[in-house]
Amino acid sequence: MANARIQVPASLSQGEVFEVRVLIRHPMETGLRHNDIGQLIPQNVIHLLTCRYNGVEVFRAELFPGVAANPYVSFFTTAVASGELEVSWTDDGGQTGTERASVMVLPRS
Amino acid sequence: MTHKGMSRRELLGAAIAPLFVSGLTREIAAADIPQHIQALIVEATGGVTPSRGKVKLTLPAIAESGNSVPLKLQVDSPMTAESYVRSIHIFSARNPRPVIARFHLGPQSGRAEVNTRIRLAGTQEVFALAIMSDASAWLGSTGVVVTAAACTDEKQEQQRNDPTPRT
Amino acid sequence: MVSSRSLSRRAFLVRSAAVSGGLMVGVCFPKAVLAKKAQKAAAALGPEVTAWVLVNPDDTILIRVARTEMGQGSFTGLPMLIAEELACDWKQVRAEYASTTEHLRRDRIYKDMLTGGSRSIRDSHEYLRKAGAAARTMLITAAAQKWGVPPAECTAASGVITHGSSKRTVKFGAVASDAAKLDIPQDVPLKDSREWKLIGQPVARFDIPDKVTGKTAFAIDTQLPGLVYAAIAQCPVFGGTLKSAAADKISSKPGIVKVVPMDNAVAVVAEGSWWHAQQALKELPIEWNLGDNAKVSSASIMEFLRGGITAKEAPVSRQEGDIDKAFTAAAKVVEAEYYAPYLEHATMEPQNCTVYILDGRVEVWAPSQNSEATAALTAEVTEIPVSKVEVHKVHIGGGFGRRGLVLDFVRQAATIAKAVPGKPVKLIWSREEDIQHGYYRPVALVKMRAALDATNQPTAWYVRQADQSIFNAVRPEAIKNGIDSIGVRTFSDAPYAFPNIRMEYAMRNTHVPPGPWRAVAHTHNPFFRECFIDELAVTAGQDPYQFRRKLLAKATRDLGVLDAVAKAANWEKALPAGVHRGIAVQDAYGSYTAAVAEVSVSDKGELKIQRLVIGLDSGYVVNPDSVRAQVEGCVVYGLTAILYGEITIKEGRVEQSNFHDYPMMRIAEMPKVEVVLAPTGGFWGGAGEPPLAPLAPAICNAIFAATGKRIRSLPLKHHDLRKA
Repeated sequence: MANARIQVPASLSQGEVFEVRVLIRHPMETGLRHNDIGQLIPQNVIHLLTCRYNGVEVFRAELFPGVAANPYVSFFTTAVASGELEVSWTDDGGQTGTERASVMVLPRS
Repeated sequence: MTHKGMSRRELLGAAIAPLFVSGLTREIAAADIPQHIQALIVEATGGVTPSRGKVKLTLPAIAESGNSVPLKLQVDSPMTAESYVRSIHIFSARNPRPVIARFHLGPQSGRAEVNTRIRLAGTQEVFALAIMSDASAWLGSTGVVVTAAACTDEKQEQQRNDPTPRT
Repeated sequence: MVSSRSLSRRAFLVRSAAVSGGLMVGVCFPKAVLAKKAQKAAAALGPEVTAWVLVNPDDTILIRVARTEMGQGSFTGLPMLIAEELACDWKQVRAEYASTTEHLRRDRIYKDMLTGGSRSIRDSHEYLRKAGAAARTMLITAAAQKWGVPPAECTAASGVITHGSSKRTVKFGAVASDAAKLDIPQDVPLKDSREWKLIGQPVARFDIPDKVTGKTAFAIDTQLPGLVYAAIAQCPVFGGTLKSAAADKISSKPGIVKVVPMDNAVAVVAEGSWWHAQQALKELPIEWNLGDNAKVSSASIMEFLRGGITAKEAPVSRQEGDIDKAFTAAAKVVEAEYYAPYLEHATMEPQNCTVYILDGRVEVWAPSQNSEATAALTAEVTEIPVSKVEVHKVHIGGGFGRRGLVLDFVRQAATIAKAVPGKPVKLIWSREEDIQHGYYRPVALVKMRAALDATNQPTAWYVRQADQSIFNAVRPEAIKNGIDSIGVRTFSDAPYAFPNIRMEYAMRNTHVPPGPWRAVAHTHNPFFRECFIDELAVTAGQDPYQFRRKLLAKATRDLGVLDAVAKAANWEKALPAGVHRGIAVQDAYGSYTAAVAEVSVSDKGELKIQRLVIGLDSGYVVNPDSVRAQVEGCVVYGLTAILYGEITIKEGRVEQSNFHDYPMMRIAEMPKVEVVLAPTGGFWGGAGEPPLAPLAPAICNAIFAATGKRIRSLPLKHHDLRKA
């Protein structure tokens, strides 16, 4: 896995509710651990994660240190049109990341 | 590094606590919910008292280390434009930081279900609060036993009965 | 109540084992045979009066044990607590492990299953005695109802209920079914300790006979039809990962089932025997990403620790008075630096685990100090609900803290079992893997300085610890202000009345994984403290025993056990030529201990420990035979470490690998041990770990008396003991 992975179903039919699974590589440093000489390692977690579907925000998560390292989040959204899912995130250190996945939405038969 | 709203929460807690407690005793045993969690609930709902129900929180009954515990949240809602889940908040009774996550949904979500993995600092109750589009609030909770924490839990070392001064 | 398959099988096993007085586990029969035997067994087994106590129609009693027997005697001691209040005939009592599945299904009815921290008796005595009292009350009530008399007119003793006025009697077995239907009374008043008939009596242990005859089935003995074996190689450098394993080089060899790569290890699964798997593993080409930690050595670790000692500031763990003033005014100042190395647990039974996934259920056999954790971890890795996980609880071949907190071998075995579906897998670590992949008693370097005034009174004590934190590795949120609250024990809670104290804790964490080794910080910290107090006594020109007495004037329990040991050792009496003494006192895990060592050192520097007198005040003593054995066991474990124990690091990895370079002491080296049990009552302290605490300092103080050489680091094998 590079930095992140998004999993969506291979193909969807119009109006179908589907699951989006996101896994991001990130230590989610709690701010409670100490380094080798006993100093607190500053908190650094992904605090915001958003998903835009063809540019429209369909999901937003505020995450805190209580979320496990290499955060995994799954949520649901409705297949409105073919296009792109874009998951973006920001951590306490100001680092940002983005991962994209295509969605293919077939008309309902 | 502090999340915004901390001082606001304290303020809210002080102002709204009496309101909240009386509401709680009607619908939920207030004793089940620690004070600091009650304050967080009040802040999230804007003062609306939550009812028990609609929220299903699934966690393993027992976890070995508390480092990565799978959590499933499901809220009973049609998820239509007229009636949907606006947000779901997860609180931990005993973690150093009680707010674990907040999820924001909308009618386009189609289903009010979120999965994630959380950290638990020891055996405790986890709470999930769902706030609906009509501003109503629903609360669910479940307990998780964390076995590794027990090993180093300071299940209080025998208090020395001698009067010799020490820290 | 005996409807679940697993309970029925266990009931059968217990029934057949009851005849031999032991507990047989790890034997698996085909399903059909099981069902038939289970039906027979179910009929023979009596009802649960409470979850802890079954009373059979033939008056035999089955008491359930939640914690794990690892040689410390809990499998007998815990039932004694229940039996005392139950008022049964002890000769009729058998013990079995509580089922983890049942425990979880019944909302953790057996409370805590973790075995460690010398907690088994002291944490559970109250609820176990209450369980016994409740069961007794229910049995009496049932008898009274049968007779139509008030229960208050009935008493129970030795398994018989008597109605006072009419003298009618009935045995427990006859009223058990009726008793089982009653509500369980909460909070039945418990006996006063002066009324105890069983607690405090030496009792033959349930686990020993089978261990002596070799009948006991440990997890490593598990045999199952179709069992396959797994050998594992883990990355030699802590923190490194697996880069590649050329499975194709061995997978076509006969009997090789699978090669299972993991994040930092690779396992080979084979049919026939573990040896076969291990041989194949040796031929498997493996590449590791060793990582930066490959540069670490014992020398670099020492330098790193020294940085903690020389750092300008460090978090303060204790402060009283004004030490700067006291040192300025001092007539004499004593300063010394002490060191202790890493230690590995070296359990006799190496890490192993058998996992069998079948039909959406999983069974697991593991030498775990916490069967609940075993269940939780197995469920997590196999993704099978914990209600379908059956933990076969077994006696374990040593624990010492290695297998309560970290169940890495369970995680590995479950991972391997998933890779070979339908086959039961037994994973065993070689001794080399065991020694080199431990969770070690951390290394520590300590500097101490103390002041004496013109009248040789101690006035100030300064301590700077450079210490690796266990909490930071396992429970970082427990650390406050940079201080590991376990790491500072014996210093921050020292009972000595120094008017001016300053203690500082410089956390120094290396890549070597730390873990709780029997007595944890009460292994090296007492060595540092009690040897240094001795240095002060010598500088003050005072007898080390009397010197301590004055400083412990207000610490009544420490003083009490110190006095008891000095008396038993005849401290005032002159010793034969060539024999010298040392003394130490320490509290740990709720108990108070002290030791006197008598040693002689030959001209060639050969040490002989002539005699060890060890005292323990644990408040109460449940089974004195067991507690004595624990003190002696602590001597074996502790003395091994004192004489030889050392784990060294080179190129990021542990240098030692087996008992040739991480030796155990031999029988011929075992000194005479006199145990002074001095329970003063009114509190419940532990017995499994505390007796380790005063050993190293008592011995090293005696060596000083014999040779004039002050031992400030362990193990002793590095020291030339010829006279200074």
